[in-house]
Amino acid sequence: MSLEKQDDFDHGAWLKRKDLTPIETVFLTALVYLDKRLRIVDYLELLEDAYYKVNLQMPKSHTEQYDLDNKFWYWYPLYSLGFFSVLAYIVAAVSGALLGFYYSPSAAGDPTVAYQSVKMIMQDVQFGYALRSIHRWSAQIMMAAVFLHMLRVYFTGSYKEPRELNWLLGIILISLSMVFGYTGYLLPWNQLAFWAGQIGVEMALATPIVGEWGAQLLFGGFTLGQATLVRMYILHVFILPFVVTALIALHVGIVWVQGIAEPH
Amino acid sequence: MSDTDTTETRTDGGTATSDGANDEPVTDGGETGIVAPDDEVPTWEERKARKSGLSQLTYEYFERARREDQDLREESDYVERDVLGFPTWPHEIIRNMSISLFFVGMILLIAAALPPSLELPANPSSTPSIILPDWYLYWSFGLLKLNPLNPGLAVLDGSKLISDQLYGVLANVVVVGAVAFLPFLNKGSARRPVEQPFWAAIGAGGAFFSITISGIAVQNLIPLPLELQLNIAFVGPVVLGVMTYALLKTLREGYMYGLNRRYYMLRPPK
Repeated sequence: MSLEKQDDFDHGAWLKRKDLTPIETVFLTALVYLDKRLRIVDYLELLEDAYYKVNLQMPKSHTEQYDLDNKFWYWYPLYSLGFFSVLAYIVAAVSGALLGFYYSPSAAGDPTVAYQSVKMIMQDVQFGYALRSIHRWSAQIMMAAVFLHMLRVYFTGSYKEPRELNWLLGIILISLSMVFGYTGYLLPWNQLAFWAGQIGVEMALATPIVGEWGAQLLFGGFTLGQATLVRMYILHVFILPFVVTALIALHVGIVWVQGIAEPH
Repeated sequence: MSDTDTTETRTDGGTATSDGANDEPVTDGGETGIVAPDDEVPTWEERKARKSGLSQLTYEYFERARREDQDLREESDYVERDVLGFPTWPHEIIRNMSISLFFVGMILLIAAALPPSLELPANPSSTPSIILPDWYLYWSFGLLKLNPLNPGLAVLDGSKLISDQLYGVLANVVVVGAVAFLPFLNKGSARRPVEQPFWAAIGAGGAFFSITISGIAVQNLIPLPLELQLNIAFVGPVVLGVMTYALLKTLREGYMYGLNRRYYMLRPPK
């Protein structure tokens, strides 16, 4: 059996035979190159499927489809609350990343290094005061938007039949957002932070069976100190950002797949 | 295949027949395993068909689901349009960008107008008179302060079965659990509050309860006796719920008349 390429599989000759535009030539050359190495033909069907799914014709809007004579569902602006909370989340993420350059989670010293670093951010860093203000307010606005979003979903019945799982995911997300807020609230290590942390430890200890274990895990012990501060910091800047971002993506992805639930 | 054709040449120089007598296992020198991509190569459809077990079932189900979708599409009187949708660029993008920029600008404006303060540094030896989390946790904090409602049991000599703290934690679990369980209680295709006055009343009462229970969280700032505050917190939402129910029941007939006229004539309910 000869190793000479048969005509059918001589892709170079095939490319030459066809009268292709430069764009098509580049595309096909790249495709053949990649396919020889990665066998992307095997995944082509998946890609094709994804292509058609992304380009699925969206149905007409409810108003248009059923010819509601411009009698608009007047709560419709409330449908943007989910988007608003994502936007506030992004603003909080960006300003939080910038704050992270200056904050240090250490309970050493009196007042503590953490407190002094927040003070430094507010007094010495250029735009530091604005940055902290933006971070705090975007978090507050995100929570407000999320609560209103939940009310909107309730009163338009959008949690119903195919969307139960997304409602559950929403409950998880709103809870995690509140944990996000709580851990962030503790970071300046001021009076309110300390005593809010104290209440958290008491809550954990009041829980039977898992309480002490939970207090150890989340607060690093039964009294507040360096371990608590670092755990809150890691939760706030490392664990929760990844988990919550992934869940938000899933939440929005499910909405994408299932479509917006319009009131009927 | 004819009888004369049963002998074939092998790559290692030997011969093999396929008449059944020589069908012993062959270790090597046989086929390469590489199949030339000619017309004999199975299509993706055929490969799927050859699958067995769970994957075959999966494919079968997908085929069925696709057929079902297709049938539904053919049944529907929905008119396909030439234009697939509103153009993404520039219409949709410009609109989204203006909304987003407006919203981010609003955050910046509020942040500039109302900057946060920094309280005194943490001092474990002096408890402040007011300890409060951020406002969005007030409802949870209020539920933690329900100890006046934790009943003392006569059989236990008036002592409490569960500690006040655990009572508060359980109240949180119950509330969040009830909200999470909602879609499994309320089913059906009704979407508008007027169509389901009962559930709308539950929602209005629940939303109001999240505010009144926040009042319990700041009970020492409200110049009312605790008993009255608890009554407001629990009776208020019920009153609001009843009012919502009555209002929607009253509106229902007229509203559903308009809805039926505009909507159900075009798409009768199941």
